[in-house]
Amino acid sequence: MIGKPLSPSVFFFVMVLSFSVLLGGYTYLAREQHKINPLDKTIPTWSQLGQGVVKIVVLDHRSGKRWIVEDSAESGKRLFLGFFWGILGAILIGLLIGCFQLLEAAFAPPLAILAKLPPTAALALFFVMLGTGTGMYVGIIVVGLLPALAQSIYLSIKAIPTELINKALTLGASRTELVWNIIIRYIFPNILDSIRLQIGPALVYLIAAEYACAQIGFGYRIRLQARLVNMDVVYPYLALLILFGFFMDWLLKKAQAKWCAWYVKKEN
Amino acid sequence: MNETVLEIRSVSHFFRKGLTKNCVLHDVNLKVKEGQFVGLVGPSGCGKSVLFRGIVGTHPPKEGEILIFSGQENEVAQKKTKPDRNVGIVYQRYSLFPFLTAVENVAIGLMLDQTSIPSRLFRPLGWRKLRKRHLQEATAMLEKVKLKDHLYKYPAEMSGGMCQRVAIAQAIILKPRILLLDEPFGALDEATRTELQDMLLTLYAENVKAKQKNERPPYTVLMVTHELTEAIRVGDRVVGLSPFWNWKRDFQEFPGSTVVYDKPAPVFLPKQPVDFQAIEEQKDEITRATFDPNYTKNHEEFIHLWDKVSKG
Repeated sequence: MIGKPLSPSVFFFVMVLSFSVLLGGYTYLAREQHKINPLDKTIPTWSQLGQGVVKIVVLDHRSGKRWIVEDSAESGKRLFLGFFWGILGAILIGLLIGCFQLLEAAFAPPLAILAKLPPTAALALFFVMLGTGTGMYVGIIVVGLLPALAQSIYLSIKAIPTELINKALTLGASRTELVWNIIIRYIFPNILDSIRLQIGPALVYLIAAEYACAQIGFGYRIRLQARLVNMDVVYPYLALLILFGFFMDWLLKKAQAKWCAWYVKKEN
Repeated sequence: MNETVLEIRSVSHFFRKGLTKNCVLHDVNLKVKEGQFVGLVGPSGCGKSVLFRGIVGTHPPKEGEILIFSGQENEVAQKKTKPDRNVGIVYQRYSLFPFLTAVENVAIGLMLDQTSIPSRLFRPLGWRKLRKRHLQEATAMLEKVKLKDHLYKYPAEMSGGMCQRVAIAQAIILKPRILLLDEPFGALDEATRTELQDMLLTLYAENVKAKQKNERPPYTVLMVTHELTEAIRVGDRVVGLSPFWNWKRDFQEFPGSTVVYDKPAPVFLPKQPVDFQAIEEQKDEITRATFDPNYTKNHEEFIHLWDKVSKG
């Protein structure tokens, strides 16, 4: 933003350097810690981390299942369903309150209040209302995502220049066409951006809920292994969450580049 | 055949803020005939935009009425209360849909006007055929405004002048009864502005040709502008709206701006040498009648009686 933009090669070099410093710093810390206590598990060495990864991927002798498979399947299902219903509900509500004044008056104020509620603080409420099944995890993600995402969509609609709306009407657009052909297309890249921003919070809600109540899943495994101070297992799980977040973000960016070329070109 | 396209009848408009009444327009009367290019000028804050919004239909006037005629015999005029396809608009900014290419921007009007969502969803083959035709028509229209090499560019990839060309093509492809231009070239440099004025004069030349063949002129334009030279050069008639008139004779408080100038302007055709002296003379007259706060005498001398003219 300030000064000349960096060339791609300099940018790449600085990025590699920052990662090297991070990994080098960790290696140094682990080595120093193991000099003090050779059995330390809080800052595992790279070889300990390797053993942790093996523990995650091989068959567990008690359950007969691989942790990574059963945890990914369960957490993935909860996250997918939470995302699906949360995004669907947010798009629907955001569009309705953004386009129709009566619905705006009815729903925008409660939505603004709901957006201030930290879902993790209301965990007990979800527990009582939805039990401990998948519905509870989906519910907490939906309640966490929906108000913020719906508000973001609502604000995007409000930011559409009135001139464009008038223009569409003078070109013969009906109300439905105005929503379908103009408003949705105009705000679609903003919807994708907002979803990208919600990936992190959605993971927080899921892991927090699993941490507190689950018998399976990423949050449950992290809690269990953290209690045993098995950081060689916890760290790979955290790395997997980061990778998952990056993958989702990449997917949404790809979708934006494919379906909203105009927006990407404008941003560039 | 009714030649009137737009009629503004005794239009007054005001805004209320608490107990204060802010009068903007007072008893504005105006008739625009088919094929006319009218330049609407006036000082800042005189209510040009309020009148513009009234004609578009987004903000109907508090008193009086704005009527659009379809041009048929014995028709009942349509009172403007909402925007529709009879009035095309080109704004200074935000005239194009940023998510559509130039050709799609021009074709979207045809799509919205001639089809509906169910027809596009449930008759995909028919829609595909029609879409192809719409794109061909849009391409031809863009060729007319000299943009055939930029069909697939998004608005963000085009210059301001190119965007305004697309916006004009987008509006006229639907053949609206009247095309409203709101400071269309206000954000452009002098050279591009002249180029686009020439483009409007090309449309005016088509009107002239149509009249010579005894056909209906295809374009009627009302252009709101703060550039007097532009209004005189492009328009064949200039209308001045002003708060500076002799209202103190009949009112205690300012009742709003009204039409204080309405006269024909010299007609120029594209590439034709401009008579700068004629333009300057009319500019002086408009400035005196419309922009001079001290000139609050009788303005009737500046108002052409159009009805008498049309009756011969």
